[in-house]
Amino acid sequence: MRGFWPLFKRELLVFYATPLAWVLAFAFLTVQGLHFYALLASIASSPEVSDQSPLQAFFGETVILYFVQFMLVIPPLTMRLFAEERGRGTIELLLSAPITPLALVLSKYLAALLTYVLLWFPTLFYVFVIARTGYVDPAVVATSYLGVFLAGAALLAVGTLCSALVRSQFLALILTAFVILLFFVGGLFTFLTKDGTVAHAVATHLSLWTHMMDFSSGIIDSRHVVFYSSATIVPLYVTTRIVDGWRWA
Amino acid sequence: MLLTAEKLEKRYGAKVALAGIDVQVAAGEVLGFLGPNGAGKSTTMRILSGVIGADGGRVVIDGHDLADDPIAAKAALGYLPEAVPLYPELRVVEYLAFRAELKGVLRKYRVSYIEEAMQKARVTDVAYAPIGTLSKGYRQRVGLADALVAKPKLLLLDEPTAGLDPAQIVEVREVLRGLGPEHGVLLSTHILSEVEAVADRAIVIDHGKVVAAAAVTELRAADPAFLIGVSSTDVALALLKPFAGRVVATVAEGGAVRVALVAGSAEGRDGVAEEVVAAFVGGGVGVRSVVPERPRLEEVFLALTRSRAEQP
Repeated sequence: MRGFWPLFKRELLVFYATPLAWVLAFAFLTVQGLHFYALLASIASSPEVSDQSPLQAFFGETVILYFVQFMLVIPPLTMRLFAEERGRGTIELLLSAPITPLALVLSKYLAALLTYVLLWFPTLFYVFVIARTGYVDPAVVATSYLGVFLAGAALLAVGTLCSALVRSQFLALILTAFVILLFFVGGLFTFLTKDGTVAHAVATHLSLWTHMMDFSSGIIDSRHVVFYSSATIVPLYVTTRIVDGWRWA
Repeated sequence: MLLTAEKLEKRYGAKVALAGIDVQVAAGEVLGFLGPNGAGKSTTMRILSGVIGADGGRVVIDGHDLADDPIAAKAALGYLPEAVPLYPELRVVEYLAFRAELKGVLRKYRVSYIEEAMQKARVTDVAYAPIGTLSKGYRQRVGLADALVAKPKLLLLDEPTAGLDPAQIVEVREVLRGLGPEHGVLLSTHILSEVEAVADRAIVIDHGKVVAAAAVTELRAADPAFLIGVSSTDVALALLKPFAGRVVATVAEGGAVRVALVAGSAEGRDGVAEEVVAAFVGGGVGVRSVVPERPRLEEVFLALTRSRAEQP
């Protein structure tokens, strides 16, 4: 993995030395804050006692907001990873350096993943707020954040692949957003297909909503973990092959 | 040999970019790599640096096969691409620190290596300037500092003075002149005076093939020329038309015609001179003087690439 650290550090520097990460953090936390406020206001004003905890609702019930968040955060985080290097021509500097394609791909991907994790970090404040006024199940908190992490890791891997496929950052952004949208539409088929059919089973397997409902209930279903792990590893492997293949283009 | 490239081949679809090129660079040698635009110079440089792969042939750098052991081979080379891609948002020292670490320079040597590279490339005065604010000349030298920063044994420099103004060219050329003893250098350029100024040996390629390979002095000696002071340069040039293919004629200063024998000509300079003078006199052109001259590399180059292009 020679070359990993300098590339990883440089990617982080680019994220935080430019307005990108800060603008994303502002937008992300504003939407999350409004989301959390609306949820609490809704629960507080409801005459009936909900059978769901605020955290379950935050991470599970209102999952459609996660697609907004993914669309907002993931394409901008990944669009420049390879498309910018190819557009600028700086990819020549990297390909002529004594580093492996795997180090190149993982350094860029993990820098984006760390930035994604850091974006979520301030939302722990909401857990603190709820814990001050009521009971918070630590297991639910842990599995909820695990779900957010796994889904983000997979979609970031897809975004990394999209960035390696095209020279234009804008095209990479559109392509990544399109794939995320496909996940969303695929998940909707859970409601449009009959239970017990193959289509329903496939839609359920792909549905981020279904996955997050489990994670936000404190359930770690190994099928979900395998799904997200596969959806992370396969795109990263393909990206590594693409980077290696540029020598033969 | 520091660099041995054998029978390099590269195709882009049906177009043959390289058709079996051999390049060898010894330690401490500056090898000029000449050719007109589109001859295959940059393709060769990109193959040698590992950026693209060859369709055929083999590259060995400092004893390491580029295909079998790319990490070790690339660790021995510094590459300056033609377009000099850089990260404009970084300061010069930040960029060089990143590149030094990427190339595996140990932390304890990094500062001294960066300072040395900046001094050699003459960019110390802009060390803390963002690269995006630098002039093209400075950016070119930052690229050169990047190629030098890990103290590689082999330097691959692709058109290092392209697009620079005359003053910047002189500055970069001064830098290049000092590189030879410590590095093997492959200097790709279409500026022949650059090769004459800094290279020991040169190879000339055209249409993806090597058309000449020799010491610069040998290349020049191979195709002698002479200056003939005449009463009318226009008439003299017209009288030289029957000599096409044997000599390259140009108008020189002071009412003279410069006549250079084409590359590879087996004819003796003196014999051709006598024929030319006889043609001038017969054509009514007064001849004031005949002065032998060693040719400029430009003419050798033109003659080599032109004769190649004329082949079916």
